[in-house]
Amino acid sequence: MFNMVKGLGAGLVVALLAACGSNTGTSAVATSTARGTLDVNPPLRILSFDAPGLQAELASNSTAAALLPLWGNPTCGVDVYYVKFWTVGGAGETTESSGALMVPTGAAPPCTGPRPIVLYAHGTNPDQTLNLANLVNPNDSEGVSIAATFAAQGFIVVAPNFAGYDISTLGYHPYLNAVQNSGEMIDMLAAARTALPNTMSSATSDSGQLLITGYSAGGYVAMATQRAIEAAGGKVTAAAPMSGPYALEALLDSVFLGAVDAYSTVNGTMLIDGYQHAYGNIYTTATDVINPQYATGIGNLLPSATPIDTILAEGLLPEFALFDNVTPTVTIPGSAVLSAELTAALAVPSNPANPFTPLFDLGFGASYLINNDYRVSYAINAASFIDGAGPLAPTGSPPTVAAIPAMIPSPTLAPAFYLRQALNTNDLRNPPWAPHSPTLLCGGDSDPVVYFSVDTGTMQKFWSALPAGALTVLDINATPAGPFAELQGAFQAHQAGVLAFYESAAGGSLSPTAAELQVVAQTHQAEQPFCSVAARSFFTEILGG
Amino acid sequence: MPTLTIRALPTALAAIASIAISLICTSVACADDPLSNDVRIGSYSVFYHVNASDLSGPFIPAGENLNFHPEDIETLYFAYLRRLSPHFTFELAMGVPPVAKTKGRGPLDLGSVPYNDQVLSTVRWFAPTGFIEYNFLPESSPVRPFIGVGVNYTYFYDRTSTGPGDAVSGGPTKISLPASVGPAGTVGLTWRPAPRWNFTASYSGSKVNARLTANTAGEIRTSHIEFNPTALIISVGLSF
Repeated sequence: MFNMVKGLGAGLVVALLAACGSNTGTSAVATSTARGTLDVNPPLRILSFDAPGLQAELASNSTAAALLPLWGNPTCGVDVYYVKFWTVGGAGETTESSGALMVPTGAAPPCTGPRPIVLYAHGTNPDQTLNLANLVNPNDSEGVSIAATFAAQGFIVVAPNFAGYDISTLGYHPYLNAVQNSGEMIDMLAAARTALPNTMSSATSDSGQLLITGYSAGGYVAMATQRAIEAAGGKVTAAAPMSGPYALEALLDSVFLGAVDAYSTVNGTMLIDGYQHAYGNIYTTATDVINPQYATGIGNLLPSATPIDTILAEGLLPEFALFDNVTPTVTIPGSAVLSAELTAALAVPSNPANPFTPLFDLGFGASYLINNDYRVSYAINAASFIDGAGPLAPTGSPPTVAAIPAMIPSPTLAPAFYLRQALNTNDLRNPPWAPHSPTLLCGGDSDPVVYFSVDTGTMQKFWSALPAGALTVLDINATPAGPFAELQGAFQAHQAGVLAFYESAAGGSLSPTAAELQVVAQTHQAEQPFCSVAARSFFTEILGG
Repeated sequence: MPTLTIRALPTALAAIASIAISLICTSVACADDPLSNDVRIGSYSVFYHVNASDLSGPFIPAGENLNFHPEDIETLYFAYLRRLSPHFTFELAMGVPPVAKTKGRGPLDLGSVPYNDQVLSTVRWFAPTGFIEYNFLPESSPVRPFIGVGVNYTYFYDRTSTGPGDAVSGGPTKISLPASVGPAGTVGLTWRPAPRWNFTASYSGSKVNARLTANTAGEIRTSHIEFNPTALIISVGLSF
């Protein structure tokens, strides 16, 4: 996305060519691999922009230029550092990880001196080479988005790439693992705070104010991190988790019972792989869960340095079909009614009144990922240990997680028992807690990946006893009203523009139904910049700016 | 005999010089004939003709053309020459190691980093060159053109990376650039107005290349560089 690095590359050569001999030192490398240790100090600065230069770069890219009015013109320059640090994997394995430290620069008051830190968690990404510090990677727009949204407006940004990505040799990513994810965020924060005074941007310092946010899977991580820091007695200034699968158990119950979300084959693979590596009990052999057609190598398939489109094209993973389009029959001895109810619940969705039905139906096919036997077992588990926010909960149930025993109580439950137990363990309602710091939950009710009502709505109910003002919930797709009305209007105008594009000749002259499906499919990604700007506004207000 | 000088030379250069002298001394009475030694001093104008491969390594875009601009330098030339035969001479030439400055050439700033015309680093290099030269026309001729071939040895030292240089590189950088040995050639003209005095103008070129390895905060970048300096030398010499 950015071209400025080319100039830096050339400049680097100029410096290096005449810098002959080998008598100049470089950064110190840590001898300790303890968690939170900064490995290379000072870290490498990859990019350095002043405010006009950053604005010019953003304006030179069509995607970024379209979002520039939303982000606002940069107030500050931004220096981007590539931070390496030590953390642990899902099973406690020591691993090196990396991330981005983005430091606002410049003489303007919001850009220098003590500044707040935004600790940001990125969303699901199948690209193992992901490096948020490498803003020139055209395949990654999230790094650019957080640089433009936060760093360019005076926030120091700390954003880990996470174990399993970039330089980490872990071999998998501990996906939606609350303890690992929050622990790694805290490790990266410690490393970044060590690095900051030694960087070339040391005119900017840490004010001690900590703001936590992230999008999608990163929204989940952000909330888990807020919980972990506050549980340890730490101070969080404010948090803004965005579109995260917080009520993880309820979400997966919905998916297994037919509400198959977009990108579920990718998300599902990363989830099962992550838990299998962390807990070792999700399956004995991959075919216990996975269709034999895709079972070979599934345990280390994602994230991958091979582009996801190539993986799909090579048939290593189905593009849409999470489940078999042949509906399984559930047979629970002595429970004919429940068996019939679950069998009906596992059918391919056909409700024409639900706008997501065409999307759900894409999740079923002949070349599917998850075996029917495993799906049936999961459904029986969901019916046996009912999540209060799940699809099987009676109306009026408290929005709490299921009470799942430690051990498998019956053979009928066995195949999917430990997966659902892992979901239960990592559900952010378990154990019960409430934020101590002002919190914004942003999402959209048209999100086809992380269902707003199941996740954001559930947490809103879960924390309904919080005092007024402690929790702010923003549905970016709701009728514009209140302090975020302008953002809601802008998002909806953006979506209308996308719809009009797909209906136009340039977009393929799709039928209204087909065009709407395209809009729905990209909604989750489209929400990110709007919710991020909402988070920035929220943080600014909390900080008194 | 300048044995001390030869011992101080790097191995390759010393070996070539020794072999050349010893071979020719087998056919020529190698007693210290009068006026068979020559020392020269003068000006040494060095021009660099740099060609470098694209820098490879992390965070460098593929295909980026390098932009290396060492400043041409003027320094003091001195040389020792030994008459080997009526037409052959051995020359050991070198200059006072200059401080070479490298300046950025390009946009005024790279992002927020000042770039164009900034002195990014300084370095000294010691580059003795040994030539076997063939002198045309009889020894009695006051003006004698000559050509020569030889070996150049270049050793880089005393690197100083400036603040702007570190800023451009992304942090403090450790550089490895091994010494280079390469062929050299020269062509020139000597005017001898008196038996003990001569004036020489020559133009020399040498092939100097090396593989550069840079370590900035643990990130390794490499490049193959050809410096290919040429030099214009104006000198005055004393024969003895």
